[in-house]
Amino acid sequence: MSEILELLRQLIVDPFGLLEALPVRQWITDAVNWIVGNFRDFFRTYVSPPVRGVMGFTQTTLAGIPPGLFLIGIFLIGWRAASWRVGLFSLIAFALVGFIGVWDALVVTLSLVATAVLFCIIIGLPLGILCSRSDRFANAMRPILDIMQTTPPFVYLVPAVMLFSIGNVPGLIATIIFAMPPMIRLTNLGIRQVRQEYIEAAVAFGSTPRQILWKVQFPLAMPTIMAGLNQTIMLALSMVVIAAIIGAGGLGLEVYAGLERLNIGQAFVGGIGIVLLAMVLDRITQGLGEKGPGRNRNNAP
Amino acid sequence: MIRAEDVTKIFGPAPASVLPLLESGKGKSEIQAETGHVLGVHKVSFALEPGEVFVIMGLSGSGKSTLIRCVNRLFEPTAGRIFFQHPDEGEVDITALSPERLRQLRKYHMSMVFQHFALFPHRTVLANVAYGLEVQGRPPAERQRHAGEMLEMVGLGDWGRAYPAELSGGMQQRVGLARALATDARVLLMDEPFSALDPLIKVNMQQELKKIQAQLGRTILFITHDLDEAMHIGDHIAIMEEGEVVQLGTPEEILVNPRTEYVARFVEHADPTGVITAGTIALPFDPQAFPRQADAEGVHFVASRDLPELQYGLDDHGRLRRARRGDRELEIQPLETVLASEAPQTRREDLLMQCPRETVLRRVLRGRTRSALPMLVTEEDGRVVGLIDEPQLIRGILEKRGPAAGSEPHPAREEVSS
Repeated sequence: MSEILELLRQLIVDPFGLLEALPVRQWITDAVNWIVGNFRDFFRTYVSPPVRGVMGFTQTTLAGIPPGLFLIGIFLIGWRAASWRVGLFSLIAFALVGFIGVWDALVVTLSLVATAVLFCIIIGLPLGILCSRSDRFANAMRPILDIMQTTPPFVYLVPAVMLFSIGNVPGLIATIIFAMPPMIRLTNLGIRQVRQEYIEAAVAFGSTPRQILWKVQFPLAMPTIMAGLNQTIMLALSMVVIAAIIGAGGLGLEVYAGLERLNIGQAFVGGIGIVLLAMVLDRITQGLGEKGPGRNRNNAP
Repeated sequence: MIRAEDVTKIFGPAPASVLPLLESGKGKSEIQAETGHVLGVHKVSFALEPGEVFVIMGLSGSGKSTLIRCVNRLFEPTAGRIFFQHPDEGEVDITALSPERLRQLRKYHMSMVFQHFALFPHRTVLANVAYGLEVQGRPPAERQRHAGEMLEMVGLGDWGRAYPAELSGGMQQRVGLARALATDARVLLMDEPFSALDPLIKVNMQQELKKIQAQLGRTILFITHDLDEAMHIGDHIAIMEEGEVVQLGTPEEILVNPRTEYVARFVEHADPTGVITAGTIALPFDPQAFPRQADAEGVHFVASRDLPELQYGLDDHGRLRRARRGDRELEIQPLETVLASEAPQTRREDLLMQCPRETVLRRVLRGRTRSALPMLVTEEDGRVVGLIDEPQLIRGILEKRGPAAGSEPHPAREEVSS
């Protein structure tokens, strides 16, 4: 009788003590070791080179542009994508980054972000389209996207280093994983939100499903997709400091190195650079999303 | 051109399972209560002749929009068949087409105009009109040119580069019409195309459509909830209630002889002057009502019992040759000739007019302003078949029926008008 009472007591006070702890830590350690042991070569031969190649190309290209020309270029991009105000703002922001002495780091960070975002688009856009066409696929994707977005990046930094070694590549991989979900989610949402009457009209004129996607759904989903791109860029930027821990360069490295050496000034300069870059990229991509003929009419009553 | 046979559409998770219930005579509300399925269209049959405007009319929820979507299979009919007279292949069953053949049909043979226009907001007006041609795979230069022509036709030649959002509702629907016409489809499905427009613009668009239709001669299936619109543009009208066609006929047949209370209710507020014809309301020229009065020089004079001094001189074929009032000889003129001439200051007392039996009431009424005498109604060969005076006109407008049908008023009508 007293044994039963004791069991009940333990069930309430300390139910987890009844069993040995589940050896999840060991499982994961074993799994990561197994993957690293068996697939490291695969990742280093097939995944690293394209990422490193794109990164190298963007960095060389951007670094090859004389800063003065770069400033003019960013003004023109801001002006065409949004307005002359945004162009002017971009120019001043980038010039400021140059004057506080972190221009080279800015170029590296911009290349990192551009590379990560490029891969997010290449992978995320088709996945988003697939999600919009199949409920089953969308349901399967949802938990994966949740995991990608909520797992603290620090958790997968070490396995990334084990697979790809130190440098820009593991940082980029971590950034791509972290920044991709909005691209997929908002592509899916944008296409699903296109009003039924437009699709009905396209069907009534004999369009194939592919024609409906490219001639009607995709263009009408563009503002939402651009909002997704905007978020992806912002998330990618938020990763550059974390990526610096495993050897990625740029403004993130300025911050990380500044903190390590308790050089507050250096850390803040890097931080200011990141903030200014974020604001410029945000304004420009928002402008891209809002522009376009009659697009905002899609969701009007 | 299009023939529908017993088309039925049921909405719900398992539509086919409801068909036996429907066969056993259960109604729309019973089926909904028992199975949760909604009966959209029930056993509707009709046929469109090439080049005609066939109107399906009914209140919202009567199934008319569902029916038109069954014709191009935007909705899959649950039962029944729809045939299309294909120019190359003869009669094809639309309900049995494969997805690819169905797309061909929609691309080349059947286009559609929507109630809320459904213009693509990201495309210019011209690119909207060219959409069907693009789907057909025509070369860019050709579709630009053809779409431009269609825009000209609907009077928007200068608006090709604008976006739909910049256009008024009426203009947007002109674009919708041009887009549907551009594919050169013989059949046009129009789902309440003018219902979202202001009344004045609506009338404009109806006239425009009639004009274009006279020019192009497409076969049009037209949905509306507006009886006047149906009467104005329809060659035939099918009236739907609760998913079924309750009456099918020409506008005048429906107006003069509403078959159910539901139709009578509709017809009650319709404007009869543009639909009802002189032949329908005329008092027949039979010997009892119009006894022979005298013979002279190959004509015999007849006159109404009520008004013996007004005498009509007919020849052996029943054609009007002379007319006199007392001793006074009257002038005889066709109605259209009189209406085409300058209007006099006063109504004439010595002018007798005659008109063909297809003349609509509106023309007859206008004629009344020119002459105080009754109007004679003639057959195509000139034979006088009847006469219209004040009582016939009043009866025609108020009761919407002629003397033959008017002897026994429709019970439903009494109830409605009381």
